[in-house]
Amino acid sequence: MAVLKTVLYLIVYPGILFLFVYATFVEWFDRKVYARLQNRMGPTHTGRFGLLQPIADFVKLMSKEDIVPDKADKTLFTLLPIFGLAIVATAGLLLPVWHTNPLQPGFNSFPGDIIILLYLLSLPTLIFFLAGWSSTNLFSTIGGSRVLTMLFGYEVPLFLAVLSPALLAGSWRLAEIAAFYRQHPLLILPNLIGFAVALVCVQAKLERTPFDIPHAETEIVGGTFTEYSGKKLAFFRLMTDIELVVSAGLLATVFLGGFGGGIFLGFLQFIGKTLAVIFLLTLMRAVTGRIRIDQVVSFAWKYLAPLAVLQLLIVIFIKGWVL
Amino acid sequence: MKFSIPIGPQHPALKEPISLRMTVEGEVIRDADIRLGYNHRGIEKLAEEKTWIQNIYLMERICGICSHSHATCYVQGVEKLMDIVPPKRALYLRFLVAELERVHSHLLWLGVAGHEAGFDTFFMYTWRDREIVMDMLEAISGNRVHYAINTLGGVRRDLDEGLRQKILGQLDILRRRTEYYLKIGANEPTFVARLAGVGKLSKEKAMDLCAVGPTARASDIARDVRRDDPYGIYAETPFEVSTADTCDVLGRVVVRVKELFQCYNLIEFMLKNLPAGEVKVKAPRRAKPGEVVSRYEAPRGGNIHYIVSGGADKPERLKVRAPTLANYPATVEMLKNGFIADIPLIFAAIDPCICCAERTVETVDLRTGEEKVLRFSELRALAKERFDKNPRKGTGLWPF
Amino acid sequence: MNDLDTIERIKGALGSRIVEMTNPAPGRIFMTVAVEDLVSVMTNLKRDLGFWYLATISGFDKGDAFQILYHFGLEGGNLNVRTQIPKPAGPDGASADKTAPHLPSICAVIPGAILYERELQDMFGIVVDNIPDPRRVVLPDDWPEQNFPLRKDWKFERPPEVIPGGKK
Repeated sequence: MAVLKTVLYLIVYPGILFLFVYATFVEWFDRKVYARLQNRMGPTHTGRFGLLQPIADFVKLMSKEDIVPDKADKTLFTLLPIFGLAIVATAGLLLPVWHTNPLQPGFNSFPGDIIILLYLLSLPTLIFFLAGWSSTNLFSTIGGSRVLTMLFGYEVPLFLAVLSPALLAGSWRLAEIAAFYRQHPLLILPNLIGFAVALVCVQAKLERTPFDIPHAETEIVGGTFTEYSGKKLAFFRLMTDIELVVSAGLLATVFLGGFGGGIFLGFLQFIGKTLAVIFLLTLMRAVTGRIRIDQVVSFAWKYLAPLAVLQLLIVIFIKGWVL
Repeated sequence: MKFSIPIGPQHPALKEPISLRMTVEGEVIRDADIRLGYNHRGIEKLAEEKTWIQNIYLMERICGICSHSHATCYVQGVEKLMDIVPPKRALYLRFLVAELERVHSHLLWLGVAGHEAGFDTFFMYTWRDREIVMDMLEAISGNRVHYAINTLGGVRRDLDEGLRQKILGQLDILRRRTEYYLKIGANEPTFVARLAGVGKLSKEKAMDLCAVGPTARASDIARDVRRDDPYGIYAETPFEVSTADTCDVLGRVVVRVKELFQCYNLIEFMLKNLPAGEVKVKAPRRAKPGEVVSRYEAPRGGNIHYIVSGGADKPERLKVRAPTLANYPATVEMLKNGFIADIPLIFAAIDPCICCAERTVETVDLRTGEEKVLRFSELRALAKERFDKNPRKGTGLWPF
Repeated sequence: MNDLDTIERIKGALGSRIVEMTNPAPGRIFMTVAVEDLVSVMTNLKRDLGFWYLATISGFDKGDAFQILYHFGLEGGNLNVRTQIPKPAGPDGASADKTAPHLPSICAVIPGAILYERELQDMFGIVVDNIPDPRRVVLPDDWPEQNFPLRKDWKFERPPEVIPGGKK
């Protein structure tokens, strides 16, 4: 029975099948909200309300010709999308959706798994850089260097902001943090500054406007993805979608109290809370323009990092004084 | 470490082929080189073989966005050569379409500037409002671009009362929306951060390099052909020259938005004071020998046509200088010491209408720009050779 | 300022270098100068009279001579400075560099004239002396030499249209 549950966990929910379906749904949601905010329609044609549009895009990309540049490092070029997809899917396994006991650590929930999750979410940035590097195309190289430059900006505030609620809850286990905030819902409020900082940093990590500099279409053609086509590009796009789901799940777990109440209620809470976070991210995407790379780093260190430190100080204050 | 980046001839930032070779060091541009000639169509030579009336339609096809400018500038010149004066109503209608064209061109440019800056929402909003203008133009002339409403001696179609009222009604909507854009453009921090201080062109440099249009007016040079050399009805309509003094791309946005408001005032004035009468007079087939210089303020700057007639029914020389060509040396100046990320914005800020700028001989080859420049025939041979060596595998493999 | 004032000012600054000056329409002033005086006239116009806006440079093939017009935009009208250089006789293929028509460059005075002068070089085969950047601007790089499209004797023969696999 336990083996069956584990297998279901790994493959169906929240394994690769669920992540695949949910990631495409989330991409549809993002595109629809973005379009409606811009007074356009968004996907409407494929399937009811255009729900099948991201799947159609995936299938189309998978069936296109795969072109590998002559001078590129073929092994690295081919393996990177697969690595990326594997990494974000593994990160998705650490979200406490079901089959977790807040009182007892298991294979998918152990002390320190929040650090592992954050680490797994930083690896895609390195993968993007290597993708740009191995393409040996001028535009890809510039895109890759921009990706790493942005990493210097948003990584520190993100870590500080996400670790503050963990400090308040007194645990490094995601399931325990979520359970803590479910028991003390009022303690969500002091973490709101951290929530805002984490939202902006996650937007930067996912390379969406205002931080979509690395693949800025109008400047450097495709950035890191210029030379990718066909199946590899399909995997990269799926990887970014799943990364969106996992980051939203992380933010929902740590800041919004996780997904409790068994399997079905937890499932509904997962959908609801992640969609709320993604709605906020899409709103940010629709109302801003792109900023320059040097402005990103200065903005991150001038505003985001001090705010994250402030959040940390608030948490320490509350923990020491009140609890 | 310096290396040179080719922007174009094919690039998503450019709507038309042009080659910019930048020598960059890190992210800073040290030197820029513009190579033209990709969009030549041989219009000046062709114009010498077509009659005066046929040339109107040729002039219109110099550009899609500022088609009416070229046609009107040409028709003005030829009417002076032929010594005919079009009736007042025709002039009002002609310049009504001209101001509507200016509105649609500036709204298009605002959208393009937003898109180049990554601010796609702004792009979608301005182009939605541009649809209102295009619908009006279609109701007046029958076409959304290339209005073909000019003819020697007047205009071809008349405007009826119902349409006049309708356009006046739509002006209110446009005015309100443009005020909203002025508010966004001036206050949205990411947008302003992208535009302020970018592409600086000082006043002396602008005068040295003979910049025209909003590019020059943003450097505090109050030059506008409608005021300097009033043609048509601009001598009697209320009109002010819009300038800004920040000398950068933000100044150019401000100048264009101010011009939008001036356009609305002009359109309202023209619609309210539309005189009655005929819309055209008959034009002779041949023009008297002579020469004429005709100037016009296109949305991008001053347009100048120089027409020489030898008494025949075809022109002897027709020289066109569109405003974008005059802004190229200024662009090279603006690109130096800028960032790569600013290239599309700087280039878009002069509102490039590259097909306007090149007309003189038919192209023989099309060039592609890679690290080395290849001739098309060479490319074809290369492609054939490569595909002979590696036959393509089946592309329609179903992955599952 | 109106035309008469402008004409007076120009006459005062340039004096005897003007060969002919006409005012055929309100706002249009046409002035002819000799080729030798061209650069000094331009310097005077820009420095002393403040005419900085050169709209364009037109070339015109009159058969036995090239007429070059410099169009200046002024507040209140247009000043067109005309100059003429003789065209070498004989077919274009025979004219070597020595007999090619020469024109002094005004880029030292008005840097913005560079693109228009390059166009004159390409289209008419006029050699502009002291031009800062003599590359081709409008014609493709592999355009055959000594082929100047805007000269009156250059005709374009359209190749007969061949529809592959179809009827003639």
